[in-house]
Amino acid sequence: MIDIQSLSFTYKDEEHPALRDVTLTVPDGGFLGIIGPAGAGKTTLVRAVSGVIPHHYRGDFYGSVSVDGMDTVDTPLTDLSRAVGMVFQDVDSQIVSTEVEDEILYGLENFGVPHSEIPERLDFALERVGIADLRGRSIASLSGGQRQKVAIASVIALRPKILVLDEPTGELDPVSSRQVFSLLSSLRKDFGITVIVVEQKIMLLCEFADRLAVMDQGAVVRQGATRDVLAGADELEALGVNCPRVTTLSQLLSKRLGRSMPVCVNLDEAETMARGLMA
Amino acid sequence: MKDLFRYVPGRSVIHRMNPVTKLLLTVVICVAAFITGNIFVLLGLLAADLAIGFIAGVPGKTLNILKGLMKIAIFLFVLQTLLYRDGTPLFWIITDKGLLTAATVVLRLVVVCMPLTLVLAVTRVSDLANALVQVLHVPYKYAFTVTTAIRFIPQFLEEMSDIMEAQTARGVAFDKARGLRKLGMILPLCAPLLITSVRRTELTAVAVEVRGFALRTPASGYRRYPFGLIDAAAMIVCAGMIVAAVMIR
Ligand SMILES: Nc1ncnc2c1ncn2[C@@H]1O[C@H](COP(=O)(O)OP(=O)(O)OP(=O)(O)O)[C@@H](O)[C@H]1O
Ligand SMILES: [Mg+2]
Repeated sequence: MIDIQSLSFTYKDEEHPALRDVTLTVPDGGFLGIIGPAGAGKTTLVRAVSGVIPHHYRGDFYGSVSVDGMDTVDTPLTDLSRAVGMVFQDVDSQIVSTEVEDEILYGLENFGVPHSEIPERLDFALERVGIADLRGRSIASLSGGQRQKVAIASVIALRPKILVLDEPTGELDPVSSRQVFSLLSSLRKDFGITVIVVEQKIMLLCEFADRLAVMDQGAVVRQGATRDVLAGADELEALGVNCPRVTTLSQLLSKRLGRSMPVCVNLDEAETMARGLMA
Repeated sequence: MKDLFRYVPGRSVIHRMNPVTKLLLTVVICVAAFITGNIFVLLGLLAADLAIGFIAGVPGKTLNILKGLMKIAIFLFVLQTLLYRDGTPLFWIITDKGLLTAATVVLRLVVVCMPLTLVLAVTRVSDLANALVQVLHVPYKYAFTVTTAIRFIPQFLEEMSDIMEAQTARGVAFDKARGLRKLGMILPLCAPLLITSVRRTELTAVAVEVRGFALRTPASGYRRYPFGLIDAAAMIVCAGMIVAAVMIR
């Protein structure tokens, strides 16, 4: 479980806090989506979950973050890293090797995964992410999207209990983005891992995340079950978060028709609603 | 320049050689070139350089490096012959000893500059680093620093050309300027480039830390780098070169 209590954080030498009084919990096996405008503090929040804040980034830290029973302030970063796998926003800076295979080996070697187990882990990561064909390639020859997949594979190979991804589909086309989310979803089903993902593509979050947190200016302004958060579509639009069109449509309809209707988050639900209305 | 350090994949004898042996070969060629003053031994070493490139299956690259070195070599050769005073004059101010010394110096330069670039072209940087850590017990931190630096070079050059393209689009005429003027146009771009590089290294430091950097030991590496028959053969060649250089000065 991830338990964040009244967390505030100000980067060293900065005036304004990047996180203000954030309280958030994610149960084991949960799938949390974080969304919000640029500079809202999404990256800062996931840094706090992975322990990089306060271990690497200095600043004023108030409140507490507990991850899988460990308090992030008291636990060395390396111990936290065994439980939390992190995919960073800037892909190029997290790649340490010149070859795809070496990149995936890197974490496995460091964390002392028995050498007999390594081939299987390599295959597992490459196949799950769908990049088995890139295995022998050099990183320099890959596209941005392919590098992003390599970065994801290198973390998945470590089989962490908690997976934190900061805009993992930033460089990916719609089809690949969806693949990444189905991958996360299947890992969650197969291994019961907890997933936290910062993502701008709201449709994907609607489909795969069971909880949403909306951030603005360092604070979590709304959080809860995905459907409940989307019910406040007006507020979200005001924050510059684009809700799925079907959600906006269902809300508009319920306003115009003057009766409350269920919130639709995908096309199927919208179709059911429309058929219901016409009947 | 961009692909100076880019790995050229292959299965040649040189590719399969232990990275440490390849480094040894490089060092031995350089040492031998400094021990000997004999022009024929130096020519032999140059032949060894070329052989490495051809056996490794990168003849084009080999000749390119050679061509690049030629310009500097010719310049140095002329300078040396003009400045050297000893020996019997052949014509004008040129002496026989002058010619010989100039040839030796220039050959030595070419011989010494070639092998490292060639060897890096057919060795994956990560293999080099891992082998140094495993076989020679070089501290991993140093190996990591070097590999990261080498990895950054193409990235740095790519960003540089991106910025220059953007500036050209805004009317800065990089292509028309030459020499000092061109340098004057490029230098101001280095500051933003350096800032992004520093920021990137910081992010890299965090990224490796959460992937267990601190836990790495010489035994961590998955790939093994045993010495084989190829390495034994290369060592014999090395010994031969040293002996020849010592015997024939
Ligand atoms: N390393 C840092 N040092 C100082 N200030 C920082 C640092 N990283 C982020 N900030 C500041 O903290 C605030 C929140 O930034 P953060 O990167 O968490 O936002 P974000 O929601 O991830 O934005 P984006 O969508 O652009 O990725 C911003 O005001 C930013 O300038
Ligand atoms: Mg961010």
